[in-house]
Amino acid sequence: MPEAMVKLAGVHKRFGELEVLRGVNLEVAKGEVVCILGPSGSGKSTLLRCVNLLEPPEDGEILLEGHDICRGPNSGTGEQSWELDFVRQRVGMVFQQFNLFPHKTVLDNVTLAPRQVLGKGRAECEEKGRALLERVGLSDKLDQYPERLSGGQQQRVAIARALAMEPHVMLFDEVTSALDPELVKEVLDVLRGLAAEGMTMLVVTHEMGFAREVGDQVVFMDGGVIVEQGTPADVLDNPREERTKKFLGLVLER
Amino acid sequence: MSEFFNQYFDFTVMGDHFSEVLEGFLKNLLLFAVVLVLALTWGLILALIRQLPGKKFIPLRGLTIAYIDVFRAMPLLIVILLISGGLPYLEFIPKDIRIPQWFGQPDPFWYGALALTLVYGAYIAEVYRAGIEAVPPGQIEAARSLGMSHSQAMRHIVVPQAITKIPAPMLNELNSLLKDTTLVSVVALGESLLIGREVLAETFNSSAVMLAGLMFLVITLPLARLVDYLIKRNQGKVTRGAHIEVA
Repeated sequence: MPEAMVKLAGVHKRFGELEVLRGVNLEVAKGEVVCILGPSGSGKSTLLRCVNLLEPPEDGEILLEGHDICRGPNSGTGEQSWELDFVRQRVGMVFQQFNLFPHKTVLDNVTLAPRQVLGKGRAECEEKGRALLERVGLSDKLDQYPERLSGGQQQRVAIARALAMEPHVMLFDEVTSALDPELVKEVLDVLRGLAAEGMTMLVVTHEMGFAREVGDQVVFMDGGVIVEQGTPADVLDNPREERTKKFLGLVLER
Repeated sequence: MSEFFNQYFDFTVMGDHFSEVLEGFLKNLLLFAVVLVLALTWGLILALIRQLPGKKFIPLRGLTIAYIDVFRAMPLLIVILLISGGLPYLEFIPKDIRIPQWFGQPDPFWYGALALTLVYGAYIAEVYRAGIEAVPPGQIEAARSLGMSHSQAMRHIVVPQAITKIPAPMLNELNSLLKDTTLVSVVALGESLLIGREVLAETFNSSAVMLAGLMFLVITLPLARLVDYLIKRNQGKVTRGAHIEVA
């Protein structure tokens, strides 16, 4: 079996008294799309934020392309150290609230990180930025500021911005939850395109149709652990666990 | 009543001493301009140190917070007196620094500049902090998730947004700073208040002091209107933003 792109083993995360992740194990192969479902507070978002170390886990192991990114206190160095640079230049993230930089134009949003972090030249970055924005259907918005864009357009800029760093893995944290219903499809279409090109993706979502259609694996989380995982058909159509059945019943009966 | 007017609004006295008082006021403005640059820079440095992340910066952050607290708690007049009275006697410091007479300005000018920078740097650091904390945390998360370091995120994302959120409170601080330049008269800097008081001692008439006050009003009153305008405009922005979110 080929080496996993992302591998989590026994990941724990605590916020004060609250234990948000209570031992999560997950393997994601290269090119695989994993959709993560679950009620709010189940730890889905925290899981994603652990993978790019926005919330470094307290315990457990996360391997990115076989590289241990959170060598814990017991790894020999004597203190906790996280491989932030290694991770953030390989993992892209898109947020529910877009988080575009409001004081930068659309094109500058996309080119800022490659220029500052990777030290690439302006011309090279702008050429690539234009290509990425064209790909998400926004080549006519290059010089606009984010506040002039609809939510769906802003989210597509955010995806282009993350792609500009040429990530090997993309994390999507409820990227359609803040959108008006008619804008959801334009964003999901971009995700579909990425999946078709073989991008490795972890997608926290409430879009069951998307999970069924695009997901290679579906993971159901509750109470800080993975309750059930498998193919979309297994988890969505024939859930074995009571908690999964109950959740799907509530979501699908809307 | 007419005695009051004669004491404070004797136009003959004002006219006789107008050019001296104006020269003093220009010294106030020069001191203000120097401290403006120094305190805005020093305040930003303090605010940025205060935002440094992680455990290893706890001592430095603590020191900065202590500095900001102490210099805001200490009366400015006392700081001015301590510096002008103490600094010249610290003999381990080179003479050019302990008795500075740079750019043709006398040493009281620089003692005042140092004292005002130390104190106003602390106040201005708090204004910057309010601006930095008003930037949504998602902005830093987005910057960090794109691989930017803390300092890159601060420089390119947080600080440019922070300063657009604080023009009104910052102008209030600068307004106070301009007025507080008169306190340096206590260490014999020949600015407008000192000159006014010299005229008072000479003529037993306070009109030159009043004249100095009026010169300040010419600048500070429009500034107060500008602050009000900026606050109103900012509220308008917030309301419009909320409206968009509802729609």
